[in-house]
Amino acid sequence: MIFWTFLFPILLATFFNLAFANLFNADSFSEIKIGIIDNEEFRENTSFVTAIQAVSAEKGNTNENSLFVVTYTSKAEAAKLLAENKVEGYIHFDGGPELVVKQSGLNQTIIKSFLDDYQQLSSTITAIIKENPAALQQGLLANVFERVDYLQETPMGRGQPDAMVIPFYALIAMACLYGGFFGLKEIVALQADLSPEGARVNVAPIHKLRLFTASMFAAITVLLVEILILLAYLIFVLKINFGNQFGFIMLTSIVGTVTGVTFGAFIAAVVKTGEGLKIGIIISLTMTMCFLSGMMYDKIKYIISSRVPLLGYLNPLNLITDSFYALYFYDSYGQYYLNIGLLCAFCIFFSSVVYLVLRRRTYASL
Amino acid sequence: MLIKVEDLVKSYGELRALDHFGLEVMEGEIFGLLGPNGSGKTTAINCMLALLKYEQGLIEVFGKPMSPDAYELKRDIGVVMQNVAVFQELTVYENIDYFCGLYVADKRLRKDLVEEALAFVGLKDFQKFYPKKLSGGLLRRLNIACGIAHKPKLLILDEPTVAVDPQSRNKILEGIQKLNQGGTTILYTSHYMEEVEQICTRIAIMDKGRIIAMGTKEELKNMISSGEKLTVEILDVDDSVLEKVKGLPGIASVEYKENLLVVKSQKGKNNLVALIDYLKSTGIAAGRIYSEPPTLNDVFLEITGRELRD
Repeated sequence: MIFWTFLFPILLATFFNLAFANLFNADSFSEIKIGIIDNEEFRENTSFVTAIQAVSAEKGNTNENSLFVVTYTSKAEAAKLLAENKVEGYIHFDGGPELVVKQSGLNQTIIKSFLDDYQQLSSTITAIIKENPAALQQGLLANVFERVDYLQETPMGRGQPDAMVIPFYALIAMACLYGGFFGLKEIVALQADLSPEGARVNVAPIHKLRLFTASMFAAITVLLVEILILLAYLIFVLKINFGNQFGFIMLTSIVGTVTGVTFGAFIAAVVKTGEGLKIGIIISLTMTMCFLSGMMYDKIKYIISSRVPLLGYLNPLNLITDSFYALYFYDSYGQYYLNIGLLCAFCIFFSSVVYLVLRRRTYASL
Repeated sequence: MLIKVEDLVKSYGELRALDHFGLEVMEGEIFGLLGPNGSGKTTAINCMLALLKYEQGLIEVFGKPMSPDAYELKRDIGVVMQNVAVFQELTVYENIDYFCGLYVADKRLRKDLVEEALAFVGLKDFQKFYPKKLSGGLLRRLNIACGIAHKPKLLILDEPTVAVDPQSRNKILEGIQKLNQGGTTILYTSHYMEEVEQICTRIAIMDKGRIIAMGTKEELKNMISSGEKLTVEILDVDDSVLEKVKGLPGIASVEYKENLLVVKSQKGKNNLVALIDYLKSTGIAAGRIYSEPPTLNDVFLEITGRELRD
């Protein structure tokens, strides 16, 4: 039980982190290797030398503005480097800069864009100097270099949308629902027709509701400690972003925990089979809910919310996942409160059904 | 009277498990409920404990009607179920403490009670063990400790020695007698007639959901016509001898198997004298001779026509 509710989510989180870290690395930008023919015309074009140096990194020493790693070389050597794929292209000054590439692609497009940008700017400045040199005194040159973004990015919420956090949120929700094992164990231990311990408990001079409440509190406490450790591991070790609303994160964890425990108790009370099959039902239902919440494939969450939104609201695991996401992403609390309210409704429903079954005082058979 | 059951009827679908069952258990006695497997002993116990629904009948414990919420009555009842009812996640000590805690809220008092129960069943050295580390016998003792720690006035034990080694069985039976001497009234169910004969002061024999005989073991044995059983070791006996033995006065049945002549006598005195005289007169050489008084199995056999362990 401790494995499924505690170790398994931690292991899974670690695997997720490793897998997603590789995905991020695959998308990260690395400098483009280019060659420049080091001839007299290039050396005399000081503006280009300055421009290329501004966006180039020394070998082994990069910074976040670097676009290129430049090799200054002869034409023959540059052609050889290009042929051996050691550079993406080379720039040759022969009456102006010319780009030589072997194939087209993203890197080649970036080199060409840089060259086009440079040529456009230099011809603008040359034209200004030729046509109206006085304009230079009026600060026109500064205006030429000034870049204006006519589109502005406005975030919808507190955080940047990040699909990669969804599996981690779903993972916590999964751990909460695996807490159903605790709920199941408690109910089995309270029912005379489900276990010998239950029979012994039933002949004791204690009211069933009191035992049920005490058992649920015990199960919730243990699960909550596990969930908080998992949260701490995700936040502090794996650096998953949960936003900074500690109180709401705690509330989500508590409500998720209660939902998980009462869910297990509900299955234990309602399903009239052996304990093994009940555990099987909890695992399969939880995994199905995980899938529908986007743990295995994040787009499924979008598909469900756009095409069958009701299914999302009927999935407690999705509601827990969504609550964390709402806290992290949305600017308002409407969606969060709706999710928490629905989870509380689930808890009340599960607990009521369990009590209706438990309150039965005598059994037809044991 | 501690337990009074009258006209109890309980069915599982078509099967009538208790058929107008009734008994009375007096204060201070060890009352044995003896019957073969499936005779309805456990069902009767579960009805008395208000665990099972029943169609009709009256059940009183300590002179009051028993019901699921009769907490005042339950406080003075201890139960040792047929199946071992302990938590695998708790140690021996914690298990006894947990079940005792359902009856006794005072922690200090409970500590003393748990220690006492541990000592009583001889599990002091195993108190930190988890149940899965215990042998079958020790597990049964733990099961008993969980049922007696709160010092009940009435203790109900349902087949507490099933699958237990002889040493542990003796220890358990001695413990039950000791509890009884301390003032606890015991209701003991078993299908082992030797155990019931050994410890019970009064016995009810059950079959097919009914009490077929009830009384002390002497009273029960007096109910039947069989007397003692004589076994004689003889090397060779022919059929004419067997016929003659069968015709002797006071002899109920004769059987010869594996060099043993087994003769069952009718109830009465000196029934076997004629047999011994006959053997002497015919010059048949007899080896060992021993006799056994009638058992509860004989009682059951005579009433039902079946062996207790059939």
